[in-house]
Amino acid sequence: MTNPLIVVRNVSKTFSAAAGPFTALDNVSLDIDKGEFVIVVGQSGSGKSTLLALLAGIDRPSQGEVHIGGTAVHSLSERDMSSWRGGAVGIVFQFFQLLPTLSAVENVMLPMDFTNSWPANKRRSRALALMERLGVADQADKLPSTLSGGQQQRIAVARALANEPAVLLADEPTGNLDSRTANAMLELMSSLVQDGQTIVMVTHERSARRFASRTVTLADGRIVANDDA
Amino acid sequence: MVASLRTTMRSPRWRKVVGDLWLHKARTSLVVSAICVGIVGAGSVLNAWSLLRRATHDEFDASNPASAVLRVDSVDEALLTKVRALPTIAAAQGRRSVLGSVLTSTGWKTAALTSMNDFAASAIGIIKPGQGAWPPSNAGIVIEHSSVDYATVSVGDSVTLRYGDRAGRAVPVRGVARDVGLAPGWMEHTVYMFATPAMLSSLGAPSTMNELQLLVRDRTLDRADVQVIARDVQKLVESEGHHVSEVSVPVPGRHIHAAQIESLLLTQGAFALLALLLSGVLVVNLISGMLTGQVREIGVMKAIGARAGQLVTMYLSLALMLGLIACAVSLPLAALLGRLYAEFTAGILNFDVSAFRIPWWAFVLQFAVGALLPVLAAAIPVARGCRISVSEALRDNGTAIRGESDGYLMNIRGVSRPVLLSLRNAFRRRERVVLTLATLSIGGAVYLGALNLRSAVIASVDLAFSSQQFDVVFRMTRAYPVDSMVAAAITTSGVSAAEAWTGAHAAISTPDGALNSRFAITAPPLNTAMLKLTIASGRALLASEENELVVNRRLLADEPRLAVGRRVTLLMDGRVATWHIVGTTDTGLQPAAYTSRETIEHLTGGVGATSLIVAVNATAPAAKLALVRQLRSDLVDKGFDVSSSQSMAEARSVLEDHLLMVAGFLGNMSLLMIVVGGLGLASTMSLAVLERTREIGVLRAIGAKHGAILAMIQTEGLVIAVLSWLLAIPLSLPMSIALGHAFGRVMMEVPVRLLPNGPGVVQWLGVVVAVSLLACTWPAQRATRITTAAALSCE
Ligand SMILES: Nc1ncnc2c1ncn2[C@@H]1O[C@H](COP(=O)(O)OP(=O)(O)O)[C@@H](O)[C@H]1O
Ligand SMILES: [Mg+2]
Repeated sequence: MTNPLIVVRNVSKTFSAAAGPFTALDNVSLDIDKGEFVIVVGQSGSGKSTLLALLAGIDRPSQGEVHIGGTAVHSLSERDMSSWRGGAVGIVFQFFQLLPTLSAVENVMLPMDFTNSWPANKRRSRALALMERLGVADQADKLPSTLSGGQQQRIAVARALANEPAVLLADEPTGNLDSRTANAMLELMSSLVQDGQTIVMVTHERSARRFASRTVTLADGRIVANDDA
Repeated sequence: MVASLRTTMRSPRWRKVVGDLWLHKARTSLVVSAICVGIVGAGSVLNAWSLLRRATHDEFDASNPASAVLRVDSVDEALLTKVRALPTIAAAQGRRSVLGSVLTSTGWKTAALTSMNDFAASAIGIIKPGQGAWPPSNAGIVIEHSSVDYATVSVGDSVTLRYGDRAGRAVPVRGVARDVGLAPGWMEHTVYMFATPAMLSSLGAPSTMNELQLLVRDRTLDRADVQVIARDVQKLVESEGHHVSEVSVPVPGRHIHAAQIESLLLTQGAFALLALLLSGVLVVNLISGMLTGQVREIGVMKAIGARAGQLVTMYLSLALMLGLIACAVSLPLAALLGRLYAEFTAGILNFDVSAFRIPWWAFVLQFAVGALLPVLAAAIPVARGCRISVSEALRDNGTAIRGESDGYLMNIRGVSRPVLLSLRNAFRRRERVVLTLATLSIGGAVYLGALNLRSAVIASVDLAFSSQQFDVVFRMTRAYPVDSMVAAAITTSGVSAAEAWTGAHAAISTPDGALNSRFAITAPPLNTAMLKLTIASGRALLASEENELVVNRRLLADEPRLAVGRRVTLLMDGRVATWHIVGTTDTGLQPAAYTSRETIEHLTGGVGATSLIVAVNATAPAAKLALVRQLRSDLVDKGFDVSSSQSMAEARSVLEDHLLMVAGFLGNMSLLMIVVGGLGLASTMSLAVLERTREIGVLRAIGAKHGAILAMIQTEGLVIAVLSWLLAIPLSLPMSIALGHAFGRVMMEVPVRLLPNGPGVVQWLGVVVAVSLLACTWPAQRATRITTAAALSCE
């Protein structure tokens, strides 16, 4: 019996808002094994993005612990957090968030550049290989603004995978795509899981459950269901 | 090393830095322009100043300017040997200056001939040989560099020289030389020349040396110390049986015009620094605006593993790049402008700066400021922007508006909706608007202040000349009976009035016999109708047995011992007499004193006058000139020996030109301010458009037309421009005072005018409106390109 890749223990997150303190996550615990494809569902405002931000080391829990691959993410310093994040997690956003002044391949190379993870002269070929795998290698030298939403999101996924992260985190990656492109994206995610990638994805797509190994349902900051597929 | 640098520069994060510069070309060029304006403004003044300092030092000091000059009846070798033997004296030499006339292609002009026994051995006020031969010989003269154009002659030409009523003589011009101790000939309307004593004799002019030039051994002495030494020399000279009529001691190491130029440059430098400061603040604003648009990208980069330090390095390098681009443009431009300006100014000082280089430290300073200004400007916003947490950064939608004074303006009644919207928007980014307003209104204040200065200058020239109710002065080589002179003039048709005046040069003599610099005493008849002195204190001259004197403000400034009611001993034409100061006057731009012809006649026992003062009926300049020529030849025909004639109109225009030129230089600073202000407005408005992408998108969605959006942005700009114009009007009051003071230090005190000049106020409104329309063109165009979809997809 191996340890889970991701361990979330009694995590709460409270924001101080104008109307007073607001608890977005309330005593959440969750284990995720390596190779799982977990989707997080729930109504808008239920705390899905907050949970993902805690996993990504973008934000810190008010209480509780987050361990990923043996690292106590919640206790890292701001500086260590950035370095850790660059190597351990890959993030895909709803609005793609490619840097507009960089070409597609440069966007994919960027995480390697920041974390200095691959030899400088190998980064481009690695980025191209990733893009090849995601079917967008032919768009390598184009600027993001000239690409379709689906192409941009594939490049964003390539970028997220650049440093071979232990876990890929995606927050509504299909939220801005039409249903046909969204489905293709889900299939792509599923194929990544088949190759051993661990994925935690927030989504509203009903069809996503089909591919997932587990569905976590949040409501008002609590896990109300945690179902294996 | 180079290869690794190249791979580094090709890495995505550096590509992003360059890409951002390129993507936001307009904003990049705004930042670069802002830095450029600051550097070019301050740098060219710095360059001119440093060049002139070098030239002053190397040219003027190296010429060994005389520490003191004594006017002596004659200076011979025996006397020079005695003076040179004094331990305090490093060098002594004799000189003679003679005034005559030279015939040029535009008529007779005043010629000042300087002579020495041995030019080649001269060790004081060393003259630099230029083109052609040096020193002058009995075969020809050498002309001073700054007189060449004025005299319209060149080396090899022959000029006709004349001394007094002697026959003219053609003399070859053998060379050109430069005497940096002289004010330029073109400014003084004098042709300066160097000639041997034999040449002077051949013209019939006196040729014995009558100036004793001294160089003190200790060059660190101040003026008072040198005066003591000069006093010792005077005693020695007098003990040798010579007569001394003047002892003049200039401020050591100071060129006659150097103080003026320095003040002018310092005043301009102050404005240039202000412009630099304002453009610095502008750069801060632009760069924080730039970073506001980058917050989300910063969040994304952090999310994919960028450390804060990496991002800080990236953005500071971006700022540095902006600085380097600006330096590449502005350093050469500042060097060019600085050199042009220095050349022009050096012309006034009679220096040549072309052989000098701008010192390296001036470039280093400009480079450091230019390159580091944006980095410093970016430091705080970059540190703040890169420290923002990822979640916060990702929540930012790039159009965050932190409106401050939105509320109350919406409540003004009776103002139409679009105007109200523009007004409200104009106040959105308060500091930015304040900065732009300040720059534009200071520019306006300088403009209006400079106009006031201009009219004050003209008014004081008017005042100076209003006392002189005549058109031309003829100076005679000797005294003639008063009645015969007046009668000779009146018979020429067109002459409306004539008076015979006399005059002399005098030096103040202290009780121990020490002498000072000479000044002119003008002596019209007591009942003169042609000189109207405005008495500032004391009273006018009266018929009296006493030697009454009215002194002018300039003389008072030079000689603090003078005051109304005081008695003063003057040495005049070899005669020592006590004078009674009865009044002071503002009249006259040179140190001068006034008495009556009768007083001089009484004092000297002589009867007669040396100047003929004439008023003519003609008013047109050409008719006046023709009449003056006619009168001069009539006078010569009647046996009068005229040495020179001077037209008041010409004297006035020469003076006015120089004064207005300096006033113009000060006024030019408003140009610098309006450029900075225009850039400020352009950046304020483009940042405003950027921040309101969403709002403009919404306006488009609810049907706002192209023209309406354009008008909205342009109106906003105009609101700021017109406000700045309103502010400039009261601000021009203190600015007029400040410019008046600056002008007072540089040239002369003028009665400062405070109220802004009406046409000027209207002109400035035109200028700010034009600048505003121009500055808002690009932001307004950009606003019309915002589509509803793009604006709303921001989140
Ligand atoms: N930084 C924050 N400050 C205050 N409240 C926040 C902040 N981030 C999220 N929230 C609140 O927490 C709740 C959960 O947000 P989120 O995790 O984004 O929900 P979801 O992604 O499920 O729609 C929401 O009500 C939201 O308004
Ligand atoms: Mg969400």
